[in-house]
Amino acid sequence: MEYVSLTIGFIVIIAGLWAIMTNRNILRMIIGFSIFDTGLHIVIVSLAYVKGGTAPILDSAVGINEAIDKIVDPVPQALVLTAIVIGLGVTALMLAYAMKLHKEKKSLDIMSFRDLKW
Amino acid sequence: MDFDIKRLGFTLLGLLIVLNWGLLMSSIMRKLGARVAKRYGIRWFQPWLDLVKNYALRSQISHGIMFYLGPVFRIGGGVGLFLFMPMIIGSELWLNYSFHGDLVLLMYFQFFGMLGMALGSGEGGHPYSAIGISRGLSQFTTIEVPMTLAIISLAIQYDTLSLIDIVKAQQGGFQNWTMWTNPVATIAGMFSLLGALSHSPFNLVKAPNEIPIGPPTEYHSTFLGVLQTNAAILHVVEAALFMNLFFGGATNWFEFILKTFFIYFWSVFVGVVFPRFRIEQSVAWFLKIPLVFGVLAIILYM
Amino acid sequence: MISPIHIISIGLGTAFALGFLNKKSNGLAVSLMLVAIALMAAVSSSWFIKLYQGAEAIEVYTAGFKPPYSINLRMGLNEALLSSLINLAGFLGGLYMFKNLKNTGKHAIMVFLVFVMGLNVIILTRDAFNLFVFMEVVSIATAGLIILIQDGKSIQAGFKYMIATGIIAGIFLLGIIFAYYFSGSLNIDDISNSNLLAFKGGSVAVLMIIVSVVLELKPFPANGWALDVYEASDPGIAALISAASATAMYFVLFKLMPIADLQWYKIISTAGLITFVGSNLFGLKQTGARRLLGYSSIGQLGLLMTILGLKPFLGDKFEYIAITILISHYLAKAGLFWIAGLLKKDKLKDWALLRKKPLFLVLFGTFVFSLIGFPPFPSFFGKWELIMSLSQQGLYFTLAMILTGSFLEGIYLFRWLGYAIKMESNESWTFKLEWNKVIPPVLFGILVYLAGYYSSTFAENFNGLYFIALAFILIIYLLDFLPAAVKNILSILSLALVSWYMLPGLYSEDMLRFIFTLIFLVGGILTFIAGFAYKGKREGFYPVALLMYAGLAIIIRASTTLEFFFGWELMTAGSYFLIIRGKKSMAHGLSYMLFSMAGAYAILAAFGLSFAETASIQLSSLAAVGGNITVIFSLLAIGFMTKTASLGLHIWLPGAHAEAESDVSPMVSAILLKAGVFGLMILMIAMGNNPEATRVAYVLGWLGALTALVGNLAAAFQEDAKRLLAYSSISQLGYILFALAMMSHLGWMTAMVYSINHFLYKSILFLTIGAVVLKVGTHYMYKMGGLIKNMPLAFIAVLIGIIALAGVPPLSGFAGKWLFYNAVIDKHWYFQGVIVFFSGIIAFLYLFKLIYSVFLGQLKDNLRHVKDISIWFAIPIYILIIGLMIFSAKPDLVLKPLGEMISVWYPNAGLSWEGGLATAPYGYWNGTGVMITIGIMFMALLGWLLLLSSKAVKVGQFNIVYSAEAPQRPETTHVSYNIYAGYNKALGWMVAPKITEFWDTMSDWAHSLAEYGRRLYSGNGQVYTTYVLAYIIAFYLIMIF
Repeated sequence: MEYVSLTIGFIVIIAGLWAIMTNRNILRMIIGFSIFDTGLHIVIVSLAYVKGGTAPILDSAVGINEAIDKIVDPVPQALVLTAIVIGLGVTALMLAYAMKLHKEKKSLDIMSFRDLKW
Repeated sequence: MDFDIKRLGFTLLGLLIVLNWGLLMSSIMRKLGARVAKRYGIRWFQPWLDLVKNYALRSQISHGIMFYLGPVFRIGGGVGLFLFMPMIIGSELWLNYSFHGDLVLLMYFQFFGMLGMALGSGEGGHPYSAIGISRGLSQFTTIEVPMTLAIISLAIQYDTLSLIDIVKAQQGGFQNWTMWTNPVATIAGMFSLLGALSHSPFNLVKAPNEIPIGPPTEYHSTFLGVLQTNAAILHVVEAALFMNLFFGGATNWFEFILKTFFIYFWSVFVGVVFPRFRIEQSVAWFLKIPLVFGVLAIILYM
Repeated sequence: MISPIHIISIGLGTAFALGFLNKKSNGLAVSLMLVAIALMAAVSSSWFIKLYQGAEAIEVYTAGFKPPYSINLRMGLNEALLSSLINLAGFLGGLYMFKNLKNTGKHAIMVFLVFVMGLNVIILTRDAFNLFVFMEVVSIATAGLIILIQDGKSIQAGFKYMIATGIIAGIFLLGIIFAYYFSGSLNIDDISNSNLLAFKGGSVAVLMIIVSVVLELKPFPANGWALDVYEASDPGIAALISAASATAMYFVLFKLMPIADLQWYKIISTAGLITFVGSNLFGLKQTGARRLLGYSSIGQLGLLMTILGLKPFLGDKFEYIAITILISHYLAKAGLFWIAGLLKKDKLKDWALLRKKPLFLVLFGTFVFSLIGFPPFPSFFGKWELIMSLSQQGLYFTLAMILTGSFLEGIYLFRWLGYAIKMESNESWTFKLEWNKVIPPVLFGILVYLAGYYSSTFAENFNGLYFIALAFILIIYLLDFLPAAVKNILSILSLALVSWYMLPGLYSEDMLRFIFTLIFLVGGILTFIAGFAYKGKREGFYPVALLMYAGLAIIIRASTTLEFFFGWELMTAGSYFLIIRGKKSMAHGLSYMLFSMAGAYAILAAFGLSFAETASIQLSSLAAVGGNITVIFSLLAIGFMTKTASLGLHIWLPGAHAEAESDVSPMVSAILLKAGVFGLMILMIAMGNNPEATRVAYVLGWLGALTALVGNLAAAFQEDAKRLLAYSSISQLGYILFALAMMSHLGWMTAMVYSINHFLYKSILFLTIGAVVLKVGTHYMYKMGGLIKNMPLAFIAVLIGIIALAGVPPLSGFAGKWLFYNAVIDKHWYFQGVIVFFSGIIAFLYLFKLIYSVFLGQLKDNLRHVKDISIWFAIPIYILIIGLMIFSAKPDLVLKPLGEMISVWYPNAGLSWEGGLATAPYGYWNGTGVMITIGIMFMALLGWLLLLSSKAVKVGQFNIVYSAEAPQRPETTHVSYNIYAGYNKALGWMVAPKITEFWDTMSDWAHSLAEYGRRLYSGNGQVYTTYVLAYIIAFYLIMIF
């Protein structure tokens, strides 16, 4: 059962990629990217999971001496926060681009933006 | 180089003999040609008369310096060939100045007169001259191919490029002549001789039977005389070259005259029998059968 | 020292501080940004200086923890160098974009600053997650900068970029997390120490990390998004992406490679190689400058990737190779993008505009040559070491592919350079120069030379003195504003000085080099004298001519293969510019360059193979080659034959020589071609004794003979006088090749005599005809005629030239013919010999045509008042004629020392001398005697004729016997055009342009392939994303198999 969240994370990643690859609408592609990002975050957190572990907070439940065995790894949890922030930034910029693209050609179809090629 | 008056004297005497023999031979050949064509032909001394007349003409015009020098180059070519050609084997003095250079010198000295003549008549400004030269040069390039092959074959055979040594190697009976010891090379050489003496079928260069065209078109009087002098010398000297290469050379003047006559006669004989080639035909012709013989001549000695 | 962490604090701090500035003070904001970047640069470069002097690398930890609980930065030598480079590019890039940034506003300025800062962190950090964060920061900043110019194209490109890099970054993050999972650390050193590949699943982490960094380096074919970015963004930004971002990402891959194993190195090198060749191939079809630069950038990154992948094989050479090539790319590509931005013209053909500002043309040329790897630029030395190491490791395929890729890159870059130099441009407008946009490319241009010098100091056995010559050339270039005469004097003096310095020593030590030095340098002086005929400044002529002579002198002096190759490439570069100076020479310059490049690469490969065998780069070590001798010998021979223009490799020559300026034609014909001869001689001296080499030489002999034939035949059918002489050169060099290939005493004697003679008479002929062309204004012989009366000096010169060339006794040409016969019979090469002989007679056809059509026949009306050739041409011509006459009259003066020289290598079957009489194994010849005999005879006959025809009257032009007509128009009377029609009918098929057709077809194929291949980049962002994913999957598949 411990791999459930990991598996789900990967499925979400693939779903996100699938969305990017199959949707020609730029907004849908961006949503796909967000899903992909979310999948990544799930994977990160689930990798830190230690079977039967508890939250990485030192209190009455977990003493300092048993912390190593009892708590889940706190580092990825810290990392995922950063990753979420970055993902937010990227998504926001993508949306800004989407807006500009729409302004230019009144279209959100990725196929309409092929002026640069070969 | 020390000056040898005796050698010079003999050489000049030889030149005189060659000149007169050349004139005589040309009149005989023209006579023969005429008889074949059922004409009476010229009198035997006609070439001398022509020469005297041309040298004596009063009006002379020149188109410029190169035009003037053309005949000098031309006769220089003929005389030079004579100078570097061993005439009579066995007599040191009749070898002329052949100790200065070998067969290669002779082959390349042929161009001396040709080039000078081409330039001289070029300055004449007559289109026919230029056309004649272009034809002559074209034809000459391929004439020399079988000839070169034959000469190289001989050089391999006799292990030398010295004409004197080649002749000496052929002494001691006619069975030692190259003609017998290397018949293939001889055939190739004799084909090439046809072109070198430019009788029909290889006489489009001058086209002597029609209006006068070809390199000498603009030459007249003294200039023409010089050219005719040269023609007489050159024909004999060229025949002498073939004599030395293929027919054992000559040990006395009688043998010389006999052999050069028959060598020259060969080209006249072919000339009366065959009609004239166009230039592209004659250029190509030398690269066919004569070339095959030339190549064979080398393969046999490789 | 200031801690490296302050690079970050300065960058971030200033970026925040800019937010407080007034909206209107954008100018101040940009200035502050530049100050900040300058400070960052000061920090990193001060570290670089300190570390370079031998200080220890330092590690900086944030928050006082040790890894894995903290982020750490490392400042080592590599880091310091690269971050200095990035800050320098950032500073100059910011300066370059001063106005753009000012007009766009504070946000853009902040983004720019963050971009530069982010790149610094990417270089410095040792923490994988931190690396991810700053890669994302840079990526977002880049996306922001791409839309600085808000046009449709840049927005599209930016979006494609975001999608692709977003996914790549996601994969990278995933890889890092897995790596952390297995290794328990985020520190790169800890991760690599933990040997991830040992864990089940660890290899997936490695895959994801490596493949995503590789994807950031834009590998073929998953790089469509990158091309669009290069094309669409502001050139200032593209310069930074190409120079700075690529440098940083390359370093990331370098940092991360230790987590992988040898298998991965191989994959990387293959991926890089495919990218290098692929993108340079597609570059062939580009017509836009910026997209072309994109292809080139990607190609260079591919090359760098290959080098990184080869790191295990390159050993301690790796850093030198990678850094030299990286720096060349960094400087050149940034410079090129900056120039592109200045010009504001994207079509390659519009770059002709560039020559209105010669400084930029020079910079453009500098950058192109440094990209290709010509000396004296760093990439030359890098490529040299790379090729040497590759062949030492036996990686021949990689070697061949790298050379192929470089060659393809050369095709489009030199075509482009050709457009800039020569393309017709009728636009009247020019482009504006602003100081802030001028400084960056100029500075990079200077830096690339300095870097080249600096790189050379690391090369083993390389004589740094050669840079003095280059410095002198630079001075001449800086004096370009002076009149031509002054520069001419300086050039002559310099060549005289070098001759003075080189010749006496060589005379006693090395006759071979002495003779070639005479041909190269004294020949150079003579041709320079003709340069006095030119008025005005003759801009750009002297530096390039001297460059060629410097190359030639270096070839002579070279004691190692590196020095030889250095000289060879300098000579090629100089002669390329000389050739392309001609009026219609754009295409000829290109084809010359391409053949030269291919030849140079053959030489390079051969030197590499020889190094692999003998472990020495001494030229003399070529003699020790044993195993690969056939290949090495053939490659070198092919390389040298591109210069001697042997059959098949000759098609560049006729146009190049014919269109060149009047005094350049002899330089590139009589002199330059001898470099190939010299190379062949060096080669045969070293390897000729080997029986395998003899077999190759046999083929060369045939090739030489056929070259002679085809060259002369083609010459006979030319109407253009200079083209005729050019074909004649091809054929003469064919003789020389043939004679050299005989590898016998007489054969070499023939070759040397031909080389000397060809130098003499081809200089005479080309100078004279060139001078005539200057006077009459046409190359076409049928438009001339009868010029003997106007130009007696020229006529005499040509007359002597053609008699010598034809080999008619008594002039010196006959010496060659006579030796040739003896050599051929001695060697038993009868049939080849006859072909050569045949072609020698064909020479009469074109020689007659040359002198007749120009000087004899009928004078044209428009040429009636033409004067004789310029005195400045006549002087060198007649000096050469004197030389020729001395050689003709006393051939033993030259032949005796030649014989002694050649006896060292071929002691048998030489000439024996008896006074003036030379005796060879077969024949004998007395040059002096022949000369005297003929002279006396000629004078006697002339006297006789003078006596008989003293009354001759000189007549007018049309006084000829002409079928009852009086011709009056010279045009209808002068027979010249297609004069050998009959000959053409008979033998013209031999010179049908089959070889040109062959090369044209090859070129068509390459271009069609490029056209077909580049359709991969359909322009659809989604498709590009698919390529990215497919690339990852492909890597995965390769990994599991």
